[in-house]
Amino acid sequence: MQFHSPRTENEALHTLAELGNSAMVMAGGTDVMVQYQRGEIHPESLVHIGLIERLDEIAQNGTVRIGTLVCHRRLATDSLICARFPSLAEAASTVGGWQTQEAGTIGGNLCNASPAADTAPPLLVADAAVHLAHAGGGRTLPLSEFLLDRRLTARRPDELLTVVELPDPANYSGETYLKVGPRSGMEVALVGLAVRLTFTDDGATVADARIAACSVGPRPFRATVAEAVLVGSRLEQEAVAEAGQLLAESARPIDDARGLADYRRRVLAPLLGRAVDICRRRALGG
Amino acid sequence: MPWISVDAGRWVADVELSLSVNGRSHPIDAEPGETLLHVLRERLGLTGAKEGCSEGECGACTVLVGGRPMDSCLLAVHSVAGSEITTIEGVGEPGGALSPLQEAMVRAGGVQCGFCTPGFVMTLTALLADQPNPAEDDIRRALAGNICRCTGYAQIVDAVLTIAGGGR
Repeated sequence: MQFHSPRTENEALHTLAELGNSAMVMAGGTDVMVQYQRGEIHPESLVHIGLIERLDEIAQNGTVRIGTLVCHRRLATDSLICARFPSLAEAASTVGGWQTQEAGTIGGNLCNASPAADTAPPLLVADAAVHLAHAGGGRTLPLSEFLLDRRLTARRPDELLTVVELPDPANYSGETYLKVGPRSGMEVALVGLAVRLTFTDDGATVADARIAACSVGPRPFRATVAEAVLVGSRLEQEAVAEAGQLLAESARPIDDARGLADYRRRVLAPLLGRAVDICRRRALGG
Repeated sequence: MPWISVDAGRWVADVELSLSVNGRSHPIDAEPGETLLHVLRERLGLTGAKEGCSEGECGACTVLVGGRPMDSCLLAVHSVAGSEITTIEGVGEPGGALSPLQEAMVRAGGVQCGFCTPGFVMTLTALLADQPNPAEDDIRRALAGNICRCTGYAQIVDAVLTIAGGGR
């Protein structure tokens, strides 16, 4: 195996163009190195992008642009992210322990495309887009079109995910990420749920609702049918219960070592109820 | 096996890179994909960092990379070339005395079988550098990535509390 450590984005893109399918891109290595040492992957080349300049920046200019190398620890503690996208900060703070959060990156979390990727649900409710660069150009995709299936993304072998871009949330919005697992932080999610609610000016009615879940299907997904029930509601008990039921029906969980599909499905509705209360409190205060 | 690095736009084969550990520079003589932990233990003879799970779950291999705690079992050694690495062998006082944190761990009974201890000390060293006066909750959060099967954690947390705020 060869090891490449390009220092600029341009070098990285040319390396990827040249190596094609034989290369595995690695940022912090918290997923790639585990897979490599287990013998699950046998890349001819590892392309380490962790030393590339300027991909570890968080910039703000109408939208918030998060560089692919921004680590989970920084997401969890950055004042802009904590204020504007608290569900993303909460999700990042539950990715493994401190050690994993220092090494693991937002770009790595998305490109690894684990069904349990913690940063995916908050980014989905934020309508995040990902920028994919290649030698001589680039394209921007909504995150929902980037995450295709378990361990499968829309990234071509010659492309590098460079930036995750988030539009600002509307006024009167509140959001949260809730995770179920035996040790919550540290653990791979048994169920992860991000919710963002936006209220009308008078705070009475839900103007917009976003619900996204991970670990309950092959990829993290938005539950649009459940969202529709909350829009226009005043979060009456029946509306929240119906949304919870639709959310559970839209999930496709499996049984695995961490938990049973039935448990995962059943935990979704109560989790949504709890998330909705937090969103309301955060949007309207009190 | 040869490995290649792209440096300043040129392809350079078998570049000699160096690793800075506890203030000393070592040439890296390692296979591509070899972990920092393996290099520390097997090539440099620094056996303080332990191999527990090899998957980033237990924290026994924690070292500081540029002052930040990371699991050395998951770091490709070539990816940290140029960073300053601190291991448990590098945290004591000059002359070989234990650091105040290490002393406190011994006094409080935070060391039993000792296998996890170097990892705990490294994570806590980073915490105290960041936050000299951590509350119990801060300490427990910082330690989420370190597993101890002997102490039940209480003595380890107590040890930090006895020296929090500069001691006493």
